[in-house]
Amino acid sequence: MSTVNSLERHPASAPPGAVSRRSARSHRVRRFATPYLLLVPALVMYAVFTVYPIFRQFDISFFNWHIFPGMSSPSVGWSNYTAIFSDPVVRTASWNSFLFIVITVPIQMAIGLFAAAILTDRLPGSMFWRAAVYIPVVTSWVVVSWVFSYIFASEGGIMNAIAGFFAGHTESINWTAQPWTADGVIWLLSIWKGVGWSFIIFLAALDGIPRELLESARTDGASGTRVWKHVVLPSIRGALTFVVVLLVIGAAQVFTQVYEITKAGPYNSTQTLMTYMYQQAFSNFAFGYAAALASLLAVVLFGFSAAEIRILRRQDI
Amino acid sequence: MKVIKQSRWGGKSSIRLLLAAATIAGGGTLIAVTGGVSSASTVPHKASKVVTLHFWNAYNDVTETPVMNGIVIPAFEAANPGIRVVDDTLPYAGLLDKFIASSAAGDPPDLMRSDIAWVPQLASEGTLLETSKQPWFAKVAKEADPGPLSTNLYKGGYYGLPDDTNTQVFFWNHKDFAAAHLSPPTTWNQMIADAKILTIPNKGQHGLGVDSTDIWNVGPYVWTDGGNFTNKALTTSTGYMDGAATTRAVTTLVNLYKAGDIGSDFVGGSGSISGETGFPLGEYAMYFDGPWAPTTYKADGFKGYSTALLPKGPGGSISVVGGEDLVIAKGGKHLADTIKFVQFLQSPFAQLSMADAGDMAAYKTDNGPEGVLNPALRIFAKQLLTARARPVFQNYGELDTDFSNELALMLAGKIGVSAGLQIATREANKTFK
Repeated sequence: MSTVNSLERHPASAPPGAVSRRSARSHRVRRFATPYLLLVPALVMYAVFTVYPIFRQFDISFFNWHIFPGMSSPSVGWSNYTAIFSDPVVRTASWNSFLFIVITVPIQMAIGLFAAAILTDRLPGSMFWRAAVYIPVVTSWVVVSWVFSYIFASEGGIMNAIAGFFAGHTESINWTAQPWTADGVIWLLSIWKGVGWSFIIFLAALDGIPRELLESARTDGASGTRVWKHVVLPSIRGALTFVVVLLVIGAAQVFTQVYEITKAGPYNSTQTLMTYMYQQAFSNFAFGYAAALASLLAVVLFGFSAAEIRILRRQDI
Repeated sequence: MKVIKQSRWGGKSSIRLLLAAATIAGGGTLIAVTGGVSSASTVPHKASKVVTLHFWNAYNDVTETPVMNGIVIPAFEAANPGIRVVDDTLPYAGLLDKFIASSAAGDPPDLMRSDIAWVPQLASEGTLLETSKQPWFAKVAKEADPGPLSTNLYKGGYYGLPDDTNTQVFFWNHKDFAAAHLSPPTTWNQMIADAKILTIPNKGQHGLGVDSTDIWNVGPYVWTDGGNFTNKALTTSTGYMDGAATTRAVTTLVNLYKAGDIGSDFVGGSGSISGETGFPLGEYAMYFDGPWAPTTYKADGFKGYSTALLPKGPGGSISVVGGEDLVIAKGGKHLADTIKFVQFLQSPFAQLSMADAGDMAAYKTDNGPEGVLNPALRIFAKQLLTARARPVFQNYGELDTDFSNELALMLAGKIGVSAGLQIATREANKTFK
């Protein structure tokens, strides 16, 4: 049919074979181009809002950047980068960011996996509990940060009442004004709010394990622990990798809860790389320095993401 | 009721001024004011197009916003039919960030009521209109109080105009002093001694309330005790921030805190009770606060307190100059209309209206009448005569953070006073470069 239609649309002088070849070529071009044309809007958005800012940020990091239009920004070479390595606050912020990752990521994963394992079976009320575990994920970071601030308030906070009741504390604890307790509040909030996300990934992964596989392992006499070790965990290895990588990237960028609960204080003790970057840019107007910090963090996270891709490929996931 | 036509650029009339005072003192309402406008105005030309000005500020929504939105802006709009003013009240913590972002994007507000500490910083970034280059500036500068005016100075030019000024004075609780059989201290040493006597742990009562470790709160303690943070030329902190007098003042504060004589508001943290909140509740027997506090206490019905000048110490009775300036964004779209609104905000009418809400006028001719309108302001006006401005330069924020963080470390017992002040001084010296 297509040949007939093509012949009708073209001048009678054109040889039928040539027309047919041309039509086929155009059809191939259309087939080849259509997906790319459909991708264009997304690619444009990606280029404008992701690729350009990344390169611009690298560019800015080599200047004493003045953000306001019309101001000159002198080039400073690598000095923003060299300053980072001698800045004691960067060391504190890096340590805090690292600590945040190693504490919150494993706990979120462990609780998320545990909850998923319990709620994967269609038990009575499991839908309610699934929703209950996931709800913190959809709450606002700002709102829950304030809620946690009230819970841990030194005067009138419920946590001090609990500490008083169970531990007999007569003096109220100023949770968010002391380094370790302030860190603890931030970690606790982040774990509470983040568990639902890993839970939902693990739930999907566990649901994807063929029942026959589990049943045959049990029939062969494998204990619960052996089933988990040799069947379940290998089956959800892809999900585990995915969750750990994304949680680490997210944890490295912790900001809102720190900014809202402690403002990176007391005396920078809860400072993280993102809060310090923000402080440098918007309080000290050191946009070049903040861009250098952001660039270094981007390089580290890029390296981690590359490692993730290699691991995923190796595992044929 | 021609008062609202009064401006520092236009004619002057003491009768108009007194009428303004009388209107406000008598609880002048919006109707009264706008009524005055229509009678005062010559036939207002019908505006073909209404210009909307965006005025960003961090007014207190209990005391200041009602006056700004209920009296000042309506009066201005009535006198200027072609101009509408949108009062964008933002949280103080986010105001500067939002201004930076919008200015960088080329869409700044027409006008911002800026903390005085931000003006040199914003000026250094080239985002503000240099007001001293405007033809009307010289006259305003002549009428402004010198202290508030100086907060707009950056490298020889002025980048804003004073809007209001303030300082902190000494507040003492009648009941707590009576219970301890004390009379209010007049000397610094007496105040420190009283702080110890007035601390009653089982009542949760602290002798002193200090809201934070920053220079706004700690400055009066350091200056009054004879210390300082920088030299006058703002080129070094060495010998000042780590000097003997500052070390003595900070040691006193650290010791008072460690003994529980200063409450936990000093170190902050969620749930810590500010001086303004804790003072009427009996948490603090004494503290320093600004002219907004009497307005709040009046609204809350709390009367059991008095104010006084800061007790005299080796350095005198030195409080801190606070306040806000009006800054015009360089890329503002409606400069002529914005200037009209700025003129109005500096008129005795607007200045005295806001004085009724606790904002002290920043112009000489209004200093007297505001004390008549709001007698609670008199003590603040007197304290201002010896008050000191925080270091006025573009990196003040960094210097303040350096000092504040080290003091917090001292309070936490992580570092000694001398060592902490030496570190703070070293860091502060970097901000002068």
